[in-house]
Amino acid sequence: MSPARDRADGTMTQLAVAAEGVELTYADGTRAVAGVDLEVPRGEFFGFLGPNGAGKTTTIKTMASLLSPTAGQLEINGFDVTESPRKVRQSIGYMAQETSVDPEMTAEENLRFACEAYGVPRGERQTRIDELLDLVDLAEVADKRSEGFSGGMMKRLDAATALVHAPPLVFLDEPTTGLDPKARNRLWAYFRELNAAGTTVFLTTQYLEEADQLCERLSVIVGGRIVATGSPEELKREVGGEILDIELSADQAARDRAIAVVEESTLFEPDATIEETPTGISVTSRQARERGPDLLVALRDAGHEVVGFNVRAPTLDDVFLAITGEELAAGPAAAGEAAVEAEQ
Amino acid sequence: MSTPPETEATSSASITPVERSSNSFLGDVWVNYKRWNLKAVRNPFVLVVSLVQPVIFLVLFTQVFGGVVEGTLRGPVGGLSYETYLAPAIAIQVAIAAAVTSGIGLVNDIENGMFEKVLVSPMNRTAVFLGKTLAEVSRIAAQIVIILLLSVALGASVVTGLAGAVGIVAIGVLFSISFAAFSNSLAVLTRDQESTIIGANLLQFPLLFLSSAFIPLETLPGWIQAFATLNPVTYAVDGARAMMLGQDVITVIDLPGLTGVAHTLVPAVTVLVGLAVVLGGIAVVLLSRASSSAVA
Repeated sequence: MSPARDRADGTMTQLAVAAEGVELTYADGTRAVAGVDLEVPRGEFFGFLGPNGAGKTTTIKTMASLLSPTAGQLEINGFDVTESPRKVRQSIGYMAQETSVDPEMTAEENLRFACEAYGVPRGERQTRIDELLDLVDLAEVADKRSEGFSGGMMKRLDAATALVHAPPLVFLDEPTTGLDPKARNRLWAYFRELNAAGTTVFLTTQYLEEADQLCERLSVIVGGRIVATGSPEELKREVGGEILDIELSADQAARDRAIAVVEESTLFEPDATIEETPTGISVTSRQARERGPDLLVALRDAGHEVVGFNVRAPTLDDVFLAITGEELAAGPAAAGEAAVEAEQ
Repeated sequence: MSTPPETEATSSASITPVERSSNSFLGDVWVNYKRWNLKAVRNPFVLVVSLVQPVIFLVLFTQVFGGVVEGTLRGPVGGLSYETYLAPAIAIQVAIAAAVTSGIGLVNDIENGMFEKVLVSPMNRTAVFLGKTLAEVSRIAAQIVIILLLSVALGASVVTGLAGAVGIVAIGVLFSISFAAFSNSLAVLTRDQESTIIGANLLQFPLLFLSSAFIPLETLPGWIQAFATLNPVTYAVDGARAMMLGQDVITVIDLPGLTGVAHTLVPAVTVLVGLAVVLGGIAVVLLSRASSSAVA
């Protein structure tokens, strides 16, 4: 697939998504998207990370031309979403958060309908359908009605129907929410292959692990605004060092005294952060690794009983906490832990 | 469907680039027409259920009330068998019963995400709904034909022959558009299967009984005659009956200057077209509002 496709007017654009001051206010006055500026180059695996209600779905629906922005400029594959929605629709694949398949039709019929809806030439349809059924491992159940499929199978069929026209840009709205870890890993593999074949992938997720694993670059979105953008590594660097978690067998008062010990020790640079955790304390510092042992000794000398400790690189959860001051609703749990409903 | 030889299926994961072409309006209509016909065939339950009740009415009414009602038939319908009198009314009942299921398909599509999936595709949105409506209309036409055949088997006679039968189907289809639009409006407003079915079915019986469908209006109380004058079912049934008999049968309105079948058909078709435009218009507004705002 060529990295850039011809625009209708003959010029080329290297941007899959170009958003400037995009806002979306619902009729009831809710401002779901409050000024999004964003550029996603072609070929990138890009992510939107944010908690429930952050505006991820509204933003992605606006980009997919399902909603019209109430302010700002939004171009998808070089086409203005308000002026040429049909050109936008031809050039994108969209997978909604809720699995969307027709349960009364078989896997193959669902794909055939999608082929017809997207104008895949008649002579290429069967090849395309077979290819996609193989890609998402549903060839064996091609003639089965999808109503009997597991959650993971339906999700895969849904993903396949979004790809019939080999769109240069695919929007995936929380594609793995509700899936068990095995089904999730399979979907991740498809998305990676898709991106490796040149497709721009734009994904939303509330799972840090997913963003970390898949995305080359991501934006953290909260309250309809982008609060940070960068590669997972860049964002983690913003946290300012590594994290030393210390587990104490003690009560609140002891944790307060332990924090005082850290502050008085002057072991860490002045901008290091010290926090209380449910089981003890944690220190974020560029010297967490080197000075950690000294701190453990200092704590023991001050009469604290250290039950365990761990030095780790920051996760995107720490990034999220550092940027917004709040934990992600889902917590640091991996995507799969929150999911039980789908069996595959 | 043929497979082009030049496809490069190197591995199962290879993604062959596809030259996208945009469909024509008629192409989009056809795609959706096929989908809804496929779904109708997959779901024969709906087809059967919307036929069962009218068939029961046809059989029970003619057997139980036949003798009584035949004695009350006067004027252009005088001397007819009750089977012949009732058949056009049952044809209209089928049109109603089948059309009210139209909204159920829409509710299902909204619930299972297909509605949004269709909206995000490049298909023309008018063509999408036209294709669905045409599929339903085809189904209703087939169901009316079944009822007419059954009526004839029971002893009714289509005086006007094949042309009359086609006319009855046409009147039934025209009337069903209003009910399908009404059912789709309920679907968009309630987003709920049960509410859509109950809402549309609730109207079916009062409208049928308070019209010229089952018994000549002259024998009914004054208030029913007054209501029947405003009831679209009266116009649909009288229109279908005029097609069946080749005679002027309307009693609720008397347009000057018209004689014979036209005296019935002109007001009947005018009322049905007017109603279809009004209810269809409301459905289109509601649907386009639902299409342009997110469907959660």
